[in-house]
Amino acid sequence: MALKKATDSTGLRPVEDRDYTRDTDGLVAQLNDADISVRRWAARDLAAHPRAAAALCARLAQESDASVRAVLFSSAARLGGSGVVNALLPLLRSEDAGLRNGAIEVLAGLPDAVTPHIDRLLKDTDSDVRIFAVNLLGNLQHAQVPQWLAQVLLHEPAVNVVGAALEVLAEVGTPETLPALRSAAQRFADDAYIGFAVDLAIVRIGAP
Amino acid sequence: MNRILVIDDAATVRMYHRKILGDAGWHTDEASNGVEALERIHAQDDDTAFDLFVVDINMPRMDGYSFVRELRRLPARHQAPVVMVSTEARAPDANAAFDAGANAYLVKPARPPELVLTAALMLGDRPAAMKAAIKAAAGVKP
Amino acid sequence: MNTGTKQGRVLAPPVISDVDFQKFAEFFHRKTGIHFEPSKRYFVDKRLVERIQATGAENFRAWFVALRFGTDGAELQQLVNVMTVNETYFFRESYQFDCMVNHMLGEVAARKRPGGRIRIWSIPSSTGEEPYSIAIYLLERWALIEKYEVEILSSDIDTQVLQAAQRGIYSARSVAQLPQPYLKKYFTPCGKSESESGGEWRISRELVESVAFSHINLTDPADTRRFRDIDIVFCRNLLIYFDDLSRRVAAEAMFDTMAPGGFICLGHSESMSRMSSLFTMRRFPDAMVYQRPL
Repeated sequence: MALKKATDSTGLRPVEDRDYTRDTDGLVAQLNDADISVRRWAARDLAAHPRAAAALCARLAQESDASVRAVLFSSAARLGGSGVVNALLPLLRSEDAGLRNGAIEVLAGLPDAVTPHIDRLLKDTDSDVRIFAVNLLGNLQHAQVPQWLAQVLLHEPAVNVVGAALEVLAEVGTPETLPALRSAAQRFADDAYIGFAVDLAIVRIGAP
Repeated sequence: MNRILVIDDAATVRMYHRKILGDAGWHTDEASNGVEALERIHAQDDDTAFDLFVVDINMPRMDGYSFVRELRRLPARHQAPVVMVSTEARAPDANAAFDAGANAYLVKPARPPELVLTAALMLGDRPAAMKAAIKAAAGVKP
Repeated sequence: MNTGTKQGRVLAPPVISDVDFQKFAEFFHRKTGIHFEPSKRYFVDKRLVERIQATGAENFRAWFVALRFGTDGAELQQLVNVMTVNETYFFRESYQFDCMVNHMLGEVAARKRPGGRIRIWSIPSSTGEEPYSIAIYLLERWALIEKYEVEILSSDIDTQVLQAAQRGIYSARSVAQLPQPYLKKYFTPCGKSESESGGEWRISRELVESVAFSHINLTDPADTRRFRDIDIVFCRNLLIYFDDLSRRVAAEAMFDTMAPGGFICLGHSESMSRMSSLFTMRRFPDAMVYQRPL
């Protein structure tokens, strides 16, 4: 025994053609296979099949294994596009924290595809969805971002959504957001955290 | 010297909680999610082990509940009280926190005297608890 | 109205304020897990100024906005490169090799029949220091090396470093951490005599032949599919250079190459918490590593 002499095939399994049907429909069918590894490999390979975006996302709600779910999300993220965004947005409301957080992570990496939905998301009745939308603004390079954030600071009733906006502004705030920042501090004058976060954002913006 | 680990995915919130707890005289450290927190815990030796955890519920990778459940599976030397902090004021979330193994539950953003008082009570730090209780009482409007 | 020729303005080098440093440190930590304490100001500020000037940005703020919203991640990549120490050498971060021979291999071997095959994968191979360090550790410091058949695999995306690894010639600096007996045993000096200062060393053909090198792209499923039943993965100081999504994809790909119960070691400042929730953390006396659940 000891260290094996390396040969051409050491450790590397030769890939056989008949091992797998790597066409889109075949792979999508394998998303329902009884074997976790088969499902996970199918989910991984589907990252190269744009046609399968809908099927990938649809499988998420049914998939019980965490490792397969993780790969489904990764492949959805690699595919990107408005189809994926439309399929994942409803998951923001899911009772399942894993689905919710997984969707948030993927959507956060697709800021441009999510932009058309921002207005609507900022008005959602669920404050967690509004928080997600605010966090997304931090990753978005879009002319309207300062206005969106200002709107939150001026009008948003939920203190934690305002808190999220302040978190974003600590990193990407600009001088034009200063009046809205001061307004938020006044609206939540009783809240020590809001005061703290406003002060921090102002310092980070570097205003005199 | 009591050592507190603050766990939250928002940098500003971590800074805020650390400032409040630091001003109260305790040493603080931070982690941005449950997995990082577990790594921090494992990286300590007996001298530097944490005496209290202040944990946000909603975090990516591993949420607050999962972190507490994982924490409670670790050997005794890693155990310490857990204060869970959440945006949710609904009863089910408080119950879930206690079921997972937390010792206290606060709705965030926590008011400074409230956070300090809770931490002091969990740490068994009577002088700090007295000070915080007085401050909290002074804050109550008639 | 300006009538004179325009003089090139000589800009004073940008100054990094405390607030700038904080902003940068938070962002960088979020992206890479690397934490810069205020004590590292000199190190960091110098490199920030370098990047600001290299990109032609007017000041820190302008550079930071471009960094944060950069669509191709090129500046972040550059930034990670200058902020991390890229040097490779024999027995780098050897506490993980200690963990391998003292603990990980014990658990792995317990699941094998006598004479069974154990697979160790080192990625990136870079110029070979890591896989050869593993080989030396196994031969010199693992009590059970004769009882199992150990395969060492090593991969890189860069064919040039793979070639260098197979040539096996190293500088004095690269072998500086090796105990003298190992140096004498496994290397021959390339220069005229052993005492030639700054001379190079050639590693034994036997060690070169004990590592199976391969050219792969970690984010390509077709490449990683070929690896199976890996018992220990060393993937150190590679994933920090990836973007968030690629990091996830790579971690998930490595998961599938591993046998249940297999271990993976990352660089000392890296953490799975940023990449994937598929692995469990294992704390050993020598090191903290991650494990694919049994």
